[in-house]
Amino acid sequence: MDALYSFLERNSYYVVLIITLIIWLGLFLYMLSVDKKLKKIEKEHEV
Amino acid sequence: MKSKYFLFVWMLGVFCFALLYPIPFIPALGDKARVLYFHVPTAWVTVLAFLLSMVYSVQYLRKKDILYDYKAASAAGLGLLFCILATVTGAVWAKFNWGAFWNWDPRQTSIFLLLLIYGAYFALRSATESEETRAKLSSVYAVLAFITVPFFMFILPRIVESLHPDPIINESGKINMDRSMLMIFIASLAGFTWLFIWMLRIKIRLAKIELSELD
Repeated sequence: MDALYSFLERNSYYVVLIITLIIWLGLFLYMLSVDKKLKKIEKEHEV
Repeated sequence: MKSKYFLFVWMLGVFCFALLYPIPFIPALGDKARVLYFHVPTAWVTVLAFLLSMVYSVQYLRKKDILYDYKAASAAGLGLLFCILATVTGAVWAKFNWGAFWNWDPRQTSIFLLLLIYGAYFALRSATESEETRAKLSSVYAVLAFITVPFFMFILPRIVESLHPDPIINESGKINMDRSMLMIFIASLAGFTWLFIWMLRIKIRLAKIELSELD
């Protein structure tokens, strides 16, 4: 863990990459859950 | 459904390449030039969304189908969201390149005016109670508002002195970018466009449910 920490400290690019990927993952999962919920409501309403 | 997972993987690839793939030395910008992989696609999606909003508004005025008004508002809403993202990413970049978040550079001024114009679109919508009047007024407004978009996004920044880096297609009408950077940029552009289409389709589906509830 210490080795990973010191690696990230020296290569800040990877820190930015990890943050960006976490944000993207969060956004994507949110969109996917909205999509699924919507499909369920559409079935109920038969739009 | 599978295409959404493909989009996820596509954007993962774009993020990794955008941040890690070496870029040539660009004077005064250096690695900060990588912001173009995210900042420019948000501005592109803004234009696309406002264009679609105008197209749907014209369709509403022609066919008087209220669904087109909902579609126009959905596209304009997403356009406003991406416009805010372009403004914020640009301001963060400006802090590190120009020394301040806001400099009233022609680019910043023009995007600020666009935010005001499309903010007024939603103010107009919420100020009108009757659905039909709201649809008519906001459709006409959306058409008129879009006329200003090419001027603020493409013409003004090219005719006024600005500190902003050259647009992707520069004054001489040529693309002056390293080949590998251009490939990553196009991939990012495609990914963001795809994401926007997905978001817009979800908003339109929601609008349809809202309409069926009203009936």
